[in-house]
Amino acid sequence: MKVRESDFIRQKKPLLRKLLKTLEEQYPYISILAMDSTAKTYRVSRKNTGIHEDNILSERGFVIRVSDGAHYAEYSFNRISEDLLEEICSGVAEAAAMSQYAVPQKIGENTYAVPEEEKTSFVGSTDYETDPEVLGDGEIIALLSNIKEKGLAVSTKILDCAVMCNYQKYSKLFLSGKKELEQNVMWMTGAISLTASRGEEIKDSFRSFSGLGGAEVLSQMEDAVENCAAVTLELLKSEPMIPGEYECVCTPEVTGMIVHEAFGHGVEMDMFVKKRALAEQYIGQYVASELVTMHDGAAAASQTSSYFFDDEGTLAGDTTIIDKGILKQGICDLLAAQALRAEPTGNGRRQSYQRKAYTRMTNTFFEGGHSTKEEMIASISYGFLLEEPASGMEDPKNWGIQCMVNIAREIRDGRLTGRIFSPIVLTGYVPDLLKSISMVSKKTSLSGGGFCGKGYKEWVKVSDGGPYIKARIRLG
Amino acid sequence: MIEKIKSILKKAEIAAYTINETRTESAECFFIRKNLDMKRRTDLAEYQVTVFHPFVKDEKPMMGSSSAQIYPEMDAAEIESVLRSAYYAASFVGNPVYELVTGEEREHIPSDSTLAGRGLFDNMKDMAEALFAADTEEEVFLNSAELFVRRLLKRIVGSGGVDVSYETCEVSGEYVVQCISPQNVETYHSFSYRNLDTENLRREVKEAMKMTIARAQAVRSPQAGEYRVLLSGEQMRTFLSYYLERSSSSMIYQEYSSYQSNMPVQGESIRGDALTILLKAREPYSQEGIPMKDRVLLENGVLRTIHGNNRFACYLGIEPTGIYDSILVPVGETPLCEMKKEPYLHIVSFSDFQMDSFSGSFGGEIRLAFLYDGETVTPVTGGSINGNILNVQEQMTFSKERYQNGRYEGPYAVSLKGVQVAGE
Repeated sequence: MKVRESDFIRQKKPLLRKLLKTLEEQYPYISILAMDSTAKTYRVSRKNTGIHEDNILSERGFVIRVSDGAHYAEYSFNRISEDLLEEICSGVAEAAAMSQYAVPQKIGENTYAVPEEEKTSFVGSTDYETDPEVLGDGEIIALLSNIKEKGLAVSTKILDCAVMCNYQKYSKLFLSGKKELEQNVMWMTGAISLTASRGEEIKDSFRSFSGLGGAEVLSQMEDAVENCAAVTLELLKSEPMIPGEYECVCTPEVTGMIVHEAFGHGVEMDMFVKKRALAEQYIGQYVASELVTMHDGAAAASQTSSYFFDDEGTLAGDTTIIDKGILKQGICDLLAAQALRAEPTGNGRRQSYQRKAYTRMTNTFFEGGHSTKEEMIASISYGFLLEEPASGMEDPKNWGIQCMVNIAREIRDGRLTGRIFSPIVLTGYVPDLLKSISMVSKKTSLSGGGFCGKGYKEWVKVSDGGPYIKARIRLG
Repeated sequence: MIEKIKSILKKAEIAAYTINETRTESAECFFIRKNLDMKRRTDLAEYQVTVFHPFVKDEKPMMGSSSAQIYPEMDAAEIESVLRSAYYAASFVGNPVYELVTGEEREHIPSDSTLAGRGLFDNMKDMAEALFAADTEEEVFLNSAELFVRRLLKRIVGSGGVDVSYETCEVSGEYVVQCISPQNVETYHSFSYRNLDTENLRREVKEAMKMTIARAQAVRSPQAGEYRVLLSGEQMRTFLSYYLERSSSSMIYQEYSSYQSNMPVQGESIRGDALTILLKAREPYSQEGIPMKDRVLLENGVLRTIHGNNRFACYLGIEPTGIYDSILVPVGETPLCEMKKEPYLHIVSFSDFQMDSFSGSFGGEIRLAFLYDGETVTPVTGGSINGNILNVQEQMTFSKERYQNGRYEGPYAVSLKGVQVAGE
């Protein structure tokens, strides 16, 4: 089944075309992005149940971007009618006048040429098997409750089993002088979080599930809950990490966090414009082992960050960032592309119509190799298998790594010993880690359960992943 | 719009509800070096409606709830459909019954901020002037910055009689300071003020520049081992958020936290400073319309207030307080110079300092720290710390110096004994 178009956007399209024509009389470049999104979150735990419409992902509104031929301005709003067109045009004019009235005189302004566009028209929708709205609130809560009960039944030591899912169904219309693009997309994710207590300390294990599509993703959750509960119980006997540099095997989820946090943010080319990314100086050079090929793109995989065009009207792409260890190129939004005289790659994304567009990752991953997880473990005399990424932070300027994972399983003489350590901080220098990758598994997978921030804000849906990798990593 | 929503709720026979209206006007500037790169204006009206659905399940009274977004462009038929769907969804939310928030119509509370009554552009101009005031050097400068000036009008209308409204004004932003010699490095900083606090911003940027110069001189990581660690500045709120989160009624009701009123949560044998924390009401009402006021959270290490929304408070049989995210901590008695007499690792900047309120684990990668080995102070970078507040809370020492930023006001630094550091 295809996700259907938004009635709201269809109804407003003639008015938006009229607004575009009106503004074209004043500005050499105008684009309008209209968004209509419904997102719902379901949550069941031992003592709490919740259903709510997600007030960040759910939205209905517009953003206009104009250029006076040299400078850009934007106006975000969510009321439109024939009567309000004049007011909207005034809002746009106020935004454009900010360089004159809202900043001190000593501040200059960057100049950009008017973007050159090719005439493009596009309508596309993603597929799904089960529409969560058709499945219904009652059935979804029943499914989650069943998983929760299964998790709680594993042991009396399990304090809670929180089971969540959410979906976003969105439609976007992009209009400019030469473009009229429409897309309708749906993704759905699920998550299980189990907790157990060790005195005042509560240990938890987390598993996420995701897919471009609908409620079909929920069927994967029931099979995983017992394993997740077993890991939570294991964490009750976890030890604090002994700091040091170790041979490590990373699960695809941990690989994904390294790909995304340690390297991906550093090739977002709006960082090149600000001279904040070391990667700019390494184009054409080895930054990783020859076993490493890295991609990003909304069209590079089918996951929660897949779409047909970005929030600036650039069609989705598949960018090869690292090819057999050599850094080839970064990813780029429209303005950064103009500043750098590069081609935009379809990575101009907004958290919402209310926010600015930045260069953002989409589906980011390493390609698979030829080894297996078992071969990697067998090759290690002393080291760790790293599981369950928790959080990460970028450092594009200095390529420092900060990633946190929940579990490190000890490997001794090629075998898992059963000893586990938690929590773990991964640190080091990104190229050192990537160049130390000595084995890459055939098997790959992507996870799209999370959101990515630019610094500490601007949350967008992303997926990341790849194969199991073996690398040398500093753990603390 | 609120009257329209109320009349549709009545038509749909939805008797219990809360309507939250937020009107936002903002001006936003994005700078690269000393150039404006993008400017934005927003003008938005948003409505969130929470509906409550009483029902009986297994002979037990239940109170389900669900929320829905209402947009200004929705017509009456669509609003009715959305609200009926939310009400239907609430019939599957099998939470035990609780009393809903009651209240009355109150006068609008205008903002008393120095940002209020001035134009967004005037506020933007003054804050931008302050932001760039210290940017006068060639080797250390603002690489990029974002400034947001907002005016919000909020109204909360509930079926229990609540009808309150208030105005808030805020200026927030972030900036990256770059130093190009002897190494090319950067540091990230953010700020949030409820007043036209130009002097504070000037001072913070100046401090951030000093910090970045020190970061440019740091070349090596600390040796791995156990250290007396000093945390300071932006890390203080994150570190102390453990107590804020553990004392929330939602964590306690769900048994993720064993905190109880009058429990000595900082431990039984405090050998360092006993901790007092005040909850600061940043807005006059909670999202449910509960009047918010400053409260004592911890007094000398003893829990005095369990805070949270109406539902969990009802379940625990305590007064609903609303949800707090802002804390004030009285400063300690030890000057920073005293804290620095013995060897220490003073971490002034992390990549992303994290505190897990479930486990008490805290840690992060070190962007900049000063290591004192008893003889010399050396700037260091790299490596990480990994500790647990449960192991250090009885021996914490807080500085006499004060620090304020966004949702934290209190001691500038805390000294923690025996923290593991991963380094060279």
